Order: sequence, then C-alpha cells, then structure tokens
Amino acid sequence: MAVQSNKKADCAPLVPGPAAAVASLIVPGLGQILARQIQRGLILLGSVITIIILLAWRINLLAHREIGALAKLGKALDRRPFFILFLIICTVILWLWIAWDAHKQTRPGKQGGLSIFVLVIVIFFSLGWQISQINLYKMVVELPDALPPLSRVLWPWKAAVTYNTEEVGAGADILIGCDDNPPPPPEEIPSKPYLMAEPTCGELSRLDENNKVVKGSILTLTGRGFAPNMETQIWWKDSIGNEFRPRQEGKYVSLKTDDDGGFTFKLIMPYRLIPPSAVGKQIHRVEARQVTQVGGPIASDPLKLTIGRMAETIFMGMMATLFGILFSIPASFLAARNLMSGSWITMSLYYLTRTVMNIVRSIEPLIWALIAVVWVGLGPFAGIIALTIHSIAALGKLYSEAIESIDPGPIEAIQATGATQLQTIMYAVVPQMIPSFVSFSIYRWDINVRMSTIIGLVGGGGIGFLLVQYIRLLDYRSAGIAVWFIAVTVATLDYVSAEIRARFV
Amino acid sequence: MFEVKNLTKIYDDGTVALRDISFEVNPGEFIVIIGLSGSGKSTLLRCINRLIEPTEGQILWDGTDITAAEASELRRIRRQIGMIFQQFNLVKRSNVLTNVLAGRLGYVKPGLSLLHRFPARDREMAMQALERAGIADQAHKRADELSGGQQQRVGIARALMQEPRMILADEPVASLDPVLAHTILGYLEKINQEEKITILCSLHYLDLVQRYATRVIGLREGRIVYRGTQEEIRRMTDEEFKEIYGEEAERVSAGLKEGGT
Repeated sequence: MAVQSNKKADCAPLVPGPAAAVASLIVPGLGQILARQIQRGLILLGSVITIIILLAWRINLLAHREIGALAKLGKALDRRPFFILFLIICTVILWLWIAWDAHKQTRPGKQGGLSIFVLVIVIFFSLGWQISQINLYKMVVELPDALPPLSRVLWPWKAAVTYNTEEVGAGADILIGCDDNPPPPPEEIPSKPYLMAEPTCGELSRLDENNKVVKGSILTLTGRGFAPNMETQIWWKDSIGNEFRPRQEGKYVSLKTDDDGGFTFKLIMPYRLIPPSAVGKQIHRVEARQVTQVGGPIASDPLKLTIGRMAETIFMGMMATLFGILFSIPASFLAARNLMSGSWITMSLYYLTRTVMNIVRSIEPLIWALIAVVWVGLGPFAGIIALTIHSIAALGKLYSEAIESIDPGPIEAIQATGATQLQTIMYAVVPQMIPSFVSFSIYRWDINVRMSTIIGLVGGGGIGFLLVQYIRLLDYRSAGIAVWFIAVTVATLDYVSAEIRARFV
Repeated sequence: MFEVKNLTKIYDDGTVALRDISFEVNPGEFIVIIGLSGSGKSTLLRCINRLIEPTEGQILWDGTDITAAEASELRRIRRQIGMIFQQFNLVKRSNVLTNVLAGRLGYVKPGLSLLHRFPARDREMAMQALERAGIADQAHKRADELSGGQQQRVGIARALMQEPRMILADEPVASLDPVLAHTILGYLEKINQEEKITILCSLHYLDLVQRYATRVIGLREGRIVYRGTQEEIRRMTDEEFKEIYGEEAERVSAGLKEGGT
C-alpha cells in the first residue's frame, strides 16, 4: 500500500488542468511535462519541432526563388495547394489537441490515450509522401511509356535468333550538276541485276537560307534482273564513299520488285552537303540492294553472349563459395566462444575475429566489388574477390554459431580419452557441425550466384556486366534475354539448394 | 596407486566446489561417491583427469602429480583413465564403431586418426568390446538410434578401449530406469572384478550404493562428510543417510523407494 500511495504522490500533476493547457499552448508538450508525463511531453515537443522544420524546408524548396516568408508560403500554396493546406491544418489541430491533452493529463486516471499519436503519425507520413516524391498520377498516366520496353523485356526471344544474309545489288553513277558530259549508264552483265538512272546527272536536295528543303532533281530508276517480288532498298553513296539510305517523306526509300524482278521508281536526289573545298566533278552513286536470308535461324550475339556470361556467373558464385568456405572454416574456429574461452590470448583472438567479421559483413558485396575492381581490374575475378570476402565473414559467423551450439558432452568425452586438441575437433566437433555446415554452405552458394548476377553492375564480371550494358544501350530485348536467364538460373538454384539441404539435415 | 591430496576447486565466479578433499584409492576398488546435486561430485571426478582445472592440491597417479602434468604427459595419463557420463556423451551423428574407436585416440598416431584410419588390431578390439557389451550387431548404426541403455554400453566400450586402469563414472545410471541401472552397474562390477579395473563412481540411490560399493565417500558442499567401508554402508540406515544429504533427505529417500528393486 505504502508503495502505491508513494507512486500516486509521484504522479500528481504540478499544475491544475487549465494551466497545463495554457503551458502546452505556448510550448507544445510543456503542459504534459508539468503534469508529470515527461516522456509524453518530450515526444510531443519533439514531434512538433520536427514537423515544423520539415514543413518549412518543403515550403522553402517549393518557393526557393521568393523572398520573405509570406511570399514563399503563397507561392508554395500556389504550387501544392492541397498538400500545404492539409499539413498546416493538421499541425494547427495537433497544437490545439496537445493543449487539450495537457489538460486531460492532469486528471488522475485519465492519462494515456494514444489517439493523439495517430495524428502525429498521419502528419509524418503525409510529409514523407511529399519528400519521397510519390506521384500516383504520373505513375498511371505515364504507364504507356513503360509498356514497350516492358513487353520487350518480358518476351525478348525475337532478339535471340538471327539469320545469315546475302546481298545482291546494282548501282549507277550520278554526276552532281549537269554538264555536257554526263556519266554513261553502266554496262549490263547478263544474269546479274542491272540498274539504270535517267538522267545520270542532277542537283542534290539542299537547304535554303531559311533551312527549308529545296527538292533536288528527280531520277527515274529502272531495274532489271533482281529477285522477283522482294523488298529492295535504295542506297546513296557520295563521292568519298560514305553511304546512307535516303528517305522520302520520313521513310527509308524501298520498293518491291515485280514478277519479273524489274522495277521503275522515281527518286528525288537526297540532301548531302558537298563541302566548298571539294574540287572537280562530284560523282555519286545510287544503288538498289536486296538482302535475302540464307539458311535456318542461328543464335544471335546477345543470346550467345548471355549464355557465356551466365556460365561465367555460375562459376563465379561457385569459386567465391569455395574460397569462402576454405577461409571461413579456420576463421569460424577462431570466432567460436566455446573453443576460444581457454585463455585471455584466445579470447582476444576471438573478439578480434568477431569484430573484423562483423565489419566485413556489414559492407555490401557491391562495395567490395568496387574496391576489387580497383585492385585487379574489371572482370569476373574482381567479382570473385568481392563475394569471397563477404562469404568469409558471413559463413564464418554462421559456422562459429553452429560450433557454439554443439553439445559439449562429446568434447569432454573425447578429451578424456587422451586425445589431442586436433583429434578432439575432428571427432567431437566436426561430426556435430556437418549438417549445419552443409546447409549453410549450399545456402551461401545460392546467395553468391544470386549476388554475382548483379555484381557485374559495378564491373565485377558475370551477366550483370552485360545486362547493364544492354540497359544503357536501350536494347531492351537483349536485356530481356539476360533477365530471363538470371530468373531461370536463380529459380533452379533455389530449388536445387532447398532439395539438397532437405536431404542432408 | 592413486591419491587425492587437499584438492580445492574454486570457480571463476567464486563458487567453491571442492574444499580440501583428500582420499586414497587402492587398485581394484569400487568406490562410490554420494552427495546431493551440487555437492561437487562431478567436479571432483573431472578434476581427476583435469577436464576441470583444480585450483589447489595434488592428485598423485603412480607418484606423478596429475595437476602439474604437461600436455603430453596429461594425455598419457588420461588414456589410462576411462570415463563414462550420465548423458553418455557419444557423438550422436557418428556410428557406434567410430564412437568406440575414439577410445583409442590416445594411442594411435594423430595423423592417421584424423583421416578416421585405425590399425586393424584396434578395429578388432572395438568389435570385441561391442560383443562383450552385447551390442555387436549395432556397430554400424548411428549412435543416436540406440536406446539409452545401449548408448551407455557404447560409452563403457569406448572407455574400455583405452585399456584403462581406472574408470571414472559420473552418475552413469541417472538417465536410465532402475532395471537398466542394475544391468549397467552389474556390468561395471564385472569389469571391476574380472579385470581389476578400479572404479570411481558417483551415485544417487542408497540401495545401489549398498549393493555395489566396496567403499563410500560422502560429499556435502564440497567437503567429505562421510567415509565408510562396504560393511558400514550396508548397515547404514535412512537416518544416517539423511545426515549426509542434509535437510533435503526426505525427497531423496522418497526417490530411493521409487528407484528400489
């Protein structure tokens, strides 16, 4: 009883309710502190201060060009009316609520009540919504932009195959600027495609002083002896041998041959700047080319590269796991309290190993990879080093915990036979460790392969290296192939490692 | 042959487990140590082969002081002293034969034993030990597949592989039912009588003590409070037993009646 009354006296408010309310109206939370609800008061005070600072920061950011608090507020209200208004109203309500709460806290038996904190949390999350720039409207409206790359990533197999091609074609020389001596039409060789231009000279398209295109002369192209009913591309080659496909109305010029493999086509001579320094006659060339597929589909470069890099990735994971296991076993013995509790030397070794392993483990493999890339250069070896370092620390901890949880009975039994320290470890410690050892090692292999798929992002080799290149080239189909391979490999590995672990343990 | 002189053990946390223990053991004796849990029985047995380091005192083995022995000498002494445990302390995931062969670790070359290779003679010896214990057919099973009584036989077989001159038994039957307790202790008695192996055993129940001990040492709070010969212990009444066990004797005698045969 004595204790209880004592406690009550301790909890008695220092001021009456209205005074507490006024105190809280001046400094939020002060009333609660005066009502002996110190923790509550401090939390509320801290919340209000934080909210006001964050709100001021966001308003300032929205109107950073305005000068003066009112101007800033006006501008911010103008830009984000709903958000700013909502938060200001909420903050005012909170302020008043805190005052009322202070009044309530002075009455014994009415303390507690957590609903005020719901409002605090609502304000914080509204701020968070704005600070983290969540924009649901944009997300919905701009969804169509995501669809083309997404569909390519999800179904990239078009890029997985390619065909060998064979090109046939014929060309005719064109003189820029007609004179008395235009080039003659080319000689016709039997059983080869033949292209004739009429006339064989003309003016190129050019830009006038308003950058408007002035159309060039029109050439009538006549072709014979091409493959029938097939798309034929027109190419233009300038006097120094640069070639390009001319466009008409924004599209590459191409035509279809008739049943006999012939065509007639009117081509406007394309725009090509002839530098003023050019001397002599400018002979360009117009060509008609047909590209045909030869043979069946063959694996495309992205597919071949992906398969090669995937193999590299899996082996990276395996090598890193192997090295990780080899080095973490001795480390785990040093980090096992029950084996190291012998003397202060072993104990300090224990603490040293533990500390180093904790530090190493807390640094992500990606960061280790950055360091390793500086060390041994780009490529899978850097990735292996990064994963090995992390594996040693992670496995060392898991193994040492497995050692710490073993039954000490067999150890003393084996020691009692006169066995050496090493024999004791082999006969009493190792057999007890095997299940968890196998389980952790396979789990780590699983993790390492998964990690090695992304370690390439920073230059650590493996498929991530390829993936990030494709993404930067906006080659979403090839990236999609890599993503598919990663997904299938990781899923397979997940299943296999779960199976092996289930069987061993 | 074997003598404990003024043995004291104080743990790091300040607990005094043993105070000034002295006794002598003659070859071929079956000495039983009695006392409540926490009276220091286990600590005493473990101090003898230095699984626990004694704080003070001497343990003389053929005139050599075990407490002062170097690591290699300690191992040589340890291999002459077998030990069996309440929880059997077998390596559960290893098979029975490997567990028994582990008893030879003090004798074999360390290099070979790390590869789990043992001389053919040792393997034969292990099979014989299992046969004597009546569990030869279990040799290739995992140790944790065996029943409690069988596991303790494996424990004894492992101790016998050391060709010991003395066996320390720490509550060897406390995890077994009364009938099995008699079988196991009977087996130890047989070893004691036929091979003249000295046995130093801690036990809980008065009737087992009366049946098997040739000499009794009573411990309470780390001190020797009772020494008795075979005749004296057989004449001992519950009231005298209470004096050793102190205030909690009621519970212990109730357990005695339950455990009696």
